[in-house]
Formats: sequence, C-alpha cells, structure tokens
Amino acid sequence: MAGLADRFEQFVKKLPETKIMKFVAGRILVPIWASRTPVKPQPGGPHYSVQSGDNVQRMMNLIMPLKDKSAVGRAEAALAIAQNKDEIYAGLDNVGTVHFARFVIVGENICMFSVYDGDFTNYIRDFIATIGCVFDAVVKLVEGGDAVIPSETHVEKFIDWVHAHDLYQVSDQATDLFRDIEAVNGETAITRDLRLLPRDLILQLHVNPNVSLGSGYRAYPGYSVAEVRKQFGIGW
Amino acid sequence: MVSAMVDVADVQGNILQGYRHPRVRHLILSVGDAAEARAWLGATVSGAGGVPQVTSQAPWDEKPSTCFNIGLTFEGLRALGTASQSLASFPTEFVEGMTARALKLGDIGDSAPERWPAPFDKPRDIHVIVSVHAKEVADLDRVQRQALQNARTFRLLGVREGFNFHGDYVHFGYHDNISQPRFAEIHDPEDYPDPQEMAPLGTVLLGYPNNFEGLLWHVPDPVELGHNGTFNAFRILAQDVVGFENYLTEAAKYLLTQAGVDELLPPGAETKIGAGLSREAALREIVAAQMCGRWRNGVPLAVSPDTPDPATPIPEKQLNNFDYAANSSCPYSSHIRRTNPRDAQIVQRVANNSRRLVRRGIPYGPPYDPAKPDGVEAPERGLLGNFIGASLGAQFEAMCTDWVNVGLQDPRVTGSNDPLIGANAPETGWFDVVLKSGRTFRLRSLPRFVRSRGGAYTFLPSVSAIRYLGSLGK
Amino acid sequence: MDDTPSQNCGAQSPSAKNTASPDPSPSQLVDAIIEDFPDHRPGTRPIHTIGIGVGGYFEASDIARNYCRAEHFGGQRVDVSVRFSNGSGSPVQHDGWNDVRGMATRFHLKNEAATDLIAMTLNGFFVRTTREFIDFTTAARQQPVKKETPWQKIWDMLQLKQPLRDPYPGQKESGDAGTLEYANAHPFAQLAVFQAGSIGAPVSYVRAAYHAVHTFIVTGEDGVRRPVRFAWKPVAGVCNTDPDAPPEDDYLQGELRERLARWPARFLLMMTIGESGDALDDPTVPWPAKRVRVVMGTLILDTVPADQQAAAEHISFNPWRLVDGIEPSNDPILLARRDAYEDSRKRRGGTACPFNRSGT
Ligand code: HEM
Ligand code: HEM
Repeated sequence: MAGLADRFEQFVKKLPETKIMKFVAGRILVPIWASRTPVKPQPGGPHYSVQSGDNVQRMMNLIMPLKDKSAVGRAEAALAIAQNKDEIYAGLDNVGTVHFARFVIVGENICMFSVYDGDFTNYIRDFIATIGCVFDAVVKLVEGGDAVIPSETHVEKFIDWVHAHDLYQVSDQATDLFRDIEAVNGETAITRDLRLLPRDLILQLHVNPNVSLGSGYRAYPGYSVAEVRKQFGIGW
Repeated sequence: MVSAMVDVADVQGNILQGYRHPRVRHLILSVGDAAEARAWLGATVSGAGGVPQVTSQAPWDEKPSTCFNIGLTFEGLRALGTASQSLASFPTEFVEGMTARALKLGDIGDSAPERWPAPFDKPRDIHVIVSVHAKEVADLDRVQRQALQNARTFRLLGVREGFNFHGDYVHFGYHDNISQPRFAEIHDPEDYPDPQEMAPLGTVLLGYPNNFEGLLWHVPDPVELGHNGTFNAFRILAQDVVGFENYLTEAAKYLLTQAGVDELLPPGAETKIGAGLSREAALREIVAAQMCGRWRNGVPLAVSPDTPDPATPIPEKQLNNFDYAANSSCPYSSHIRRTNPRDAQIVQRVANNSRRLVRRGIPYGPPYDPAKPDGVEAPERGLLGNFIGASLGAQFEAMCTDWVNVGLQDPRVTGSNDPLIGANAPETGWFDVVLKSGRTFRLRSLPRFVRSRGGAYTFLPSVSAIRYLGSLGK
Repeated sequence: MDDTPSQNCGAQSPSAKNTASPDPSPSQLVDAIIEDFPDHRPGTRPIHTIGIGVGGYFEASDIARNYCRAEHFGGQRVDVSVRFSNGSGSPVQHDGWNDVRGMATRFHLKNEAATDLIAMTLNGFFVRTTREFIDFTTAARQQPVKKETPWQKIWDMLQLKQPLRDPYPGQKESGDAGTLEYANAHPFAQLAVFQAGSIGAPVSYVRAAYHAVHTFIVTGEDGVRRPVRFAWKPVAGVCNTDPDAPPEDDYLQGELRERLARWPARFLLMMTIGESGDALDDPTVPWPAKRVRVVMGTLILDTVPADQQAAAEHISFNPWRLVDGIEPSNDPILLARRDAYEDSRKRRGGTACPFNRSGT
C-alpha cells in the first residue's frame, strides 16, 4: 500500500507542472477566485511621495494598444515617431526633467518608456506644452486616442489618459503587495494568510496584465537630471 | 468660449482684486436640504429674501462694509444635484479633493489630513465654504445670521476666523501680499511697476488663455457653470513662530562660528540691518530675509541685498520691480523665488510663468509677542490662505510638489524644501545661505515651521454659475 | 546620542520606558532565544551557533571618509575578522537547510581598538520592539513538523495557495508554523517571515548579500550627520543551492576553506543614505532602492585562522562596538542588542571587549 501512497505523493508533487493543472489553474481557478475575492486594478506609475529620493528618476511605462494591429499599423507608428523624433528630443530638452525616454513596439502596442524627475502630471503637462502638437500624431494611432487630442485643448483628459496607460509598478518588497491591495480595495481586502500572497499576486496580474516588476534598478539613485548635468559640467 | 473681454460683474470678488478688509470669517457648511440650498444660492445672486448678496468683482463706488462669497467642493456640487455628466467634467484633483492629494502637498506627519481637527476630519461632509469679509466683528455676525437664517438649508460644521492684526504683515513678521499676478483688463501697469508681464486672465479664470502657449484648461460643463469660475486651495496653515524665531537664533549662532561670516555681514554692518542690533541679531535678520527672499519689511533681497532700509527708500509700489539675474542676491531656495522664479533660469524651462497663483490670506490667532512668551498651552496661530488659480493641478499642486518641496527647479536646491513652508524635518532639512561670491553656508537641522491644519479644494463659481446652480431641478 | 561613549561594550542597561509592564531585560531576551532551541548547548551561542571565522582586510573607497570619519573609512587597509554563521541556534549543523546566514565583521583599528558590523541575509528584522521580540520568539518555539498530505496539497493548489515546504529528511520540529501564524496577525513581521521562509541555502558563505538592517548615524569629515544603512554585496554574486535537491548538512565551511586557499573572496560595502520619512528606527521596514547609495569600500577575505576556537567560538561581536563617526540610531531593537549580546557573551564565556572595564 505504501507504494501506492508514495506514487500518489510523487504525482501530487509534479502536478503543478502538468499541462492539465496549468490549464485548470489559469482557466478555471483564476476566474473562480477572481470572482470570489475580486481586486481592483492598481493605478499606474510610482506612488505619490514627498521624499526627494522618490521624486527623482521615476519610471513611466506607457503601453498604448495600436488601432491597426497589422504590420501596416505598426509601421505607421514607427513612422510617426521617426518623423517627429527631432521635435520630440528638442521638447524633452526643454521639459528638463527627463533622464531617458524611448519608444518601443511590443506586439500590438506602441510603448513609451521614460525616466523622469518630479510629479507625473507636471511632466506630462510640460510635455504637452512643448511637444503636444507632434505627439498627437502618435496618439492618433492608439485606441482611445481620438478622445484626448488635440492634447493642447484636452490637457486634463490627456494627462488622465496617459496615467491610465502607465503600468502598475508592483511593490519592491514582496509583502507590500498586501498594502497596495488594501489601499485600493479597502480593509475588507486584508489577507490574513501570508501563504495567500501568490494568489493575491495572481489576481492582481489578472486585472493588471502588464506591470512593471518593482520600481527598477538605479546605478546612482537620488539625483535629478539637472544635478547630474551640473555635476558633469555640461549645463542644465 | 475664449474671449478677451471679461464681464467683471460676473466674476466673484476677491479673485482678480483683493478686498483688503481686515477680518474674514469662513463658514464651513454641509448641505442640509438640496432644494433649499439651491434656492438659497439663487437668492444670493440678488440678495433676495434677506440672504446676503454675493459680492462680485464689479468696481465699487464705495467699499462695502461686508463682502460675501461662495466656494463649493466637489461633494458640494454633487449634494446640490449637479448632473453627473457635469461633475465628470471637473478636473481630477478637484474631484478627489485636497485630502486625497496630501502627499503631493506635503501634508504628512503632523500635517496629515488624519490629524486635522473637525470639521476637516470629515472632508466629504464639507460642501460649501462661505467667506465673509468685513471690518468689524459685528458685521461678520450679522452676515452669518442672515446667511444661515434657515437652519434646515445648511449644517454649520465649523468656523475659521482671521484678522489682519498688523496690516499686510503675517506671523513670522513678514510683510506679505506684495507680489500678485496683475491683469491688463483690471490693473493699470503704471500702478504696478513689475518687469513681469501682466498675467493672462486664464491664470485665474476659466475660459481664457493662460501662460502656457496654446494650452487651454477644460471649462467644466455646461459653460454657464464653468465659465468665469476658478479653483481655490483653501489652506489652514499653522505657523510655529517660536520654533521659527529659535531657529533664526541657532542659525545666527552657527554662522558666527564660520570662517567667512564677515562676507555675509561685514563687521560694523550690523546697523545697516537695524539700529542697535548685535551681530547675532543682525545675522538672524539676514537668515530670515534669505529664507523669504525679502527682508521682513518686504524689501526684496534682489534689489537691496545688504539692508532692509536702503538710503533711498523703496516706495511700497516698487517692491515688485525686480527679476532674478544670474547673479541675483536672492537665494534660489528662498520662499518667493521657489514659488515664483520669475525670469530666473529653471530646470523646467516651459514652466517659468505657468504656475502663478493669486493669494488671498489673512492671519489667524493672536500675534506673537516675544516679550510675553506663550504659556504651556501655546495658542495656535497661522494663515487662512486661499491659493487661487484656474488649474489646481498646473498651479497650486505643481508648485507644491516640485518647487516648494523637492526643489527640482534648480540643481542647487534639489533635495531640499522651501525653508518657510516646506515639509522639512530636522534629520535632513537644509537651507543654503548664499553669499555674494556665490559661496554658501548650509544651515542644517531645518525643522518644519508651517503645518497644515485643514483645508479644501473649492470651485469659485461665477455669478451666472451660482444662478445656474440655483435653477437646477426647476 | 552625542555623548554616548564610542567604545561601549554594554556596561549600562537600556533606559527603561515608563510603561505598565516593564520591557524585557537583556537576559530575558537571551532566555527567549534559548527556549526556541531546546537542544541549545551551554557554552555556545544561543543563535547563529555554527560558524566559521575568517580573516582579511578592508579598504575604504576614496570618498568614504566624506560621509563617515570613522577610522576604517579613512582609506588605509584595515585588518578584519569575520565570522560567518548559520542562523539556527541548534548545535546540529544543517548547512543545506533553509536558514538565515550571518556575517559579523570586526574592523581592527589602531591601539587595539575595534568596531563591529553585524549583518545577516534578511534585509529586515521580524519585530520592532523587545516586547514584540518576546511574543515572536514565543510563537517561534519548536513544534512537531506536520507534513502536508497530498490531499492538503491539492487543496492548496485549488486555492492558489503556497504549499508548505516538506520537512527535511530527519527534521522533527520547526518554528515555522508559529512564525507564520505570528506574521499573519502582525503585518510588520510579514516581510521578514516571508523572506526567511524561502531564503534557502547559499552555495557559499561568500555568495550571499548581507544587511546590517538597523539605521546608524554616520558623521562625515565636515561634521554632517546622516542616517544610513549598510549592506555587503558579494563580488562573486549571489547563488543558492537547488531547493529541490536533498540538502547537505556540512559543506559551507569546507567550501570556504578551499575557496580562500585558492583565491580571496570580496564584498562591496554599500551604504544607503536615508531621508526623513524613511523607517529610521524600524528594522522591519527596508528602505526604498531609490535612496542615495554610496560605495564605502571593499572587503577582501583571504585566510582561515587555524585557531577556530578563538576565531569562531570565543570571539564576541556587539552591534554597539562603534567608534567616533558612527552612532546607533534610536531603533529599540538595536538598543536591546547591546546588552543582550553582552549577556550572552558572559554566559558562554566569550572574549570580552578589551575596553569593557567592568567586563569579566
Ligand atoms: C503660512 C504660510 C506662508 C507664509 C508665512 C508665507 C509668506 C510669504 C511672504 C512673506 C511672501 C512675500 C510677500 C510677497 O511677495 O507678496 C510670500 C510670497 C509668496 N508666497 Fe507665501 N507664505 C505662506 C504660504 C504659501 C503657500 C502655501 C504658497 C503656495 C504653495 C505660497 C506662495 C507664495 C507666492 C506665489 C508668493 C509670491 C512670490 C512672488 O510672486 O514673488 N505661500 N509668502
Ligand atoms: C532583539 C533582537 C535580537 C536579539 C535579542 C539578538 C540576540 C542575539 C544573541 C544573544 C546572539 C549571540 C551573541 C553572542 O553570544 O555573541 C546573536 C548573534 C547574532 N545576531 Fe542577533 N539578536 C537580535 C537581532 C539581530 C538582528 C536585527 C540581526 C541582523 C543584523 C542579528 C544578527 C546576528 C548575527 C549575525 C549573530 C551572530 C554573530 C556572531 O557571529 O558572533 N541579530 N544575536
């Protein structure tokens, strides 16, 4: 009999790796638990903070689904960026708070990833003021983009829209996910079992399918664009 | 929608121009009965039925003895029955309300909304903030009685009262209310010598161009509701006068130990700072001036770096006639340079003039008398501040997040907060006293002098908007 | 804090707070630990019992002294003694088991002076106060381990819940169930318990990162004081054993001997500068990675002293053995460690700090 029990144990041990269990987990268990213990999507971008270290070198990870998902649509987006590249770079020079910014096409999305200093709304507002006109050409190609352009006369809506496309940054410390969930869903969402952390993560990823894993690594955290430029003697 | 002309009789008073009444009483109200509250709003337009009439910005023949104005929170607009479509057209920061934005405003620790006393501990109950300005307390009482004659219309949640105990001086002993945006449509540039351009109306009114080229703030729908309205950050800011004065002393003592202090205050120059001042006392005043950017009497450091009393006295009117040259004697971290960099070089090139605010503040609490130190139970004193602008996000909040705190505008101040009003803490707070040579003395252990004790984001509707709200549901 | 004697090996007792029930005494703290390890052998450490002493030197970076004027950050080479350890208080060696590791470093300064930096592989502690420590150690008492049945595991899977780790071969008891329960009721303990639960075993003592956890206040050459936290980053990189392979009980010390016989091992000492608003006095909360981080120097380990009685057993570290330029913060756990370590040292007859005039 021991042999049978052993075999059962071995079977259960390997179960999570099996196709059938993966299918059950992804297609059945996740929807069940998502409806039993629903969590709301987490807002994108870094948390507000008054601490200066938190207010420099912040990440923006915009994922914007293209209207035309074919290669033609992707090429259109690539061209819109290429044609406006100089204008965008000139604008960023004047925004003054952007460390890095790049455009990436991932699957059916045009993405903009950047590292900036200061408040998000200030960044986007200054961005609109300097490059709104040219950036509209990109936004036009994105699902839902028509409702927020021209950005210059839809400033508030545009900022909210960009914020909504910025990825949730999963907490850097594993168990802080609980705190994020409580903050958005209220006291009732408090998980009283540490072993349920994986489930909370799964359910969060269920509603925030794209996320940034943590707030990212920095080689020289704590310094603004202008501090770095000043220190190197290249003007700010 | 964009018109160059403005009908000032449609704009509530105290926005484009200040009243300069010495007393204010803010009545913090919750709507008791929506229909009655709407009727009441309608009545304030004309002053029908003994309800006080709302004061507009229309020019006066004679200054009225009392002025009466209305601000509405987002919850207030909702309680009055504003259509949801219309509610949705308000900007996010106003919808969320001041308490939700605490971290952006530096409202942490002691200043956190959870620590605010009633009625600000229940921000969602705050619907209407009525502000009465007058010269006499009796007038304030009378207008309050008239406004609240019907007990069912509103619940009075709380009252905050301010008094200009010393003209335009505020606690900490500074002359305030010198620099304000002025408008070509209202002010005669001759009267306000200032190298800064006149501000576009859109700085403070919805429906007009603002300082950001090409950008327009969304005017809440419908146009009758939004046009000629504006937003206000009402802030109750407690000031730690004792802490402030003590810090000045500590700073002066520290500076006295520093080699090079003579560059800051050449021996014998004490009398230029004030008659009969000791070296320490003179240094205190220098630190106070550098923290603000003006000597306590309002004379700008940018104009008069060495003395608050230049040989040729600066007339009141000329106190704003300066900007910040590269070698300006005004420290880049000072309060006025942080909150309005004027034409100075800043990191966010596009933002120089875009964050200007109209400020209407009146102190509260007893003036501090160094001869009579506070007892154990120190009375609370501070400023009842109104920070008015057409976009809370682009002006008040933008200023608080990146400039007042954090100090992103200049790499020499990044990582520090406004010395007067910033969310400082002794462990890490610092302020650089700047010498003429450009050298600096870093003052550390800078504590927080100004704490938030309440507040709300309000919408200041136009007179037509008040009429419109009064007619809702009819 | 300014007038704290810089060489302090624990003559005074922590200032007792004026509260109803008194804070636990240093010896109560040590007793509490011993109770978690019933097989504790008197004369040994009650925790971090199994370890190995190694030697080497530390070389500060060229800017270290700008931030901390302490002697060992001056730039010249400073001899060090390091003791690596397994966290467990059991005298039975299980290198391959899931366990926190320790790295205690003594910097030998001029005139026989010394300063210690004690670090471990968790970046946060379990509790914030000594009373919580007593509750936590009480919760962490050894209980017979329960192995989950396959059915329970299936039920875990259906709940998308993390299954319990199977006990190691021969493992009869563990404190894991109690600490888990404690963490579920005390959010501040969750991070450390969660991390400790899956921390695994390093392939080498020098292939793990170690954190000194508490905040210290350092003073730079210019007199500026800053709240900081220290961490050792292994140049060889972090690497754990395969958690699915059967654990080995005795390999870490041998590995280190072999390694150092061939080539020195190095660690980078990183110092993070805190800001007001960071958890300055709370060791359960790690600081965000967005704080200014300073390279303070490199540690080079190259010898394994033959006399391990002295290098690993008798040597006694104390987080309060500090020098001018480094002060403790107000972290209550850090405060409590001063006298608890001294109490433990006396019990096991460890080498006294040469500066402790009242010492044994
Ligand atoms: C109790 C708190 C405060 C005190 C004691 C205070 C004091 C002063 C003083 C003395 C001045 C110089 C007078 C003048 O130029 O008109 C001033 C100017 C100013 N303050 Fe404040 N202030 C306080 C809060 C604030 C806050 C919260 C803000 C906005 C976030 C602010 C924004 C400004 C601005 C924009 C100016 C004019 C700068 C210029 O245009 O040159 N103040 N304040
Ligand atoms: C109140 C909390 C704590 C208590 C009561 C405590 C107690 C002790 C005791 C009694 C010893 C043995 C000392 C000896 O006999 O020499 C010890 C060793 C040790 N502890 Fe703690 N500890 C605490 C917190 C910590 C923390 C936060 C760390 C993280 C850095 C830590 C890391 C270590 C290490 C690495 C050792 C071994 C030192 C060696 O190799 O000699 N402990 N602890």
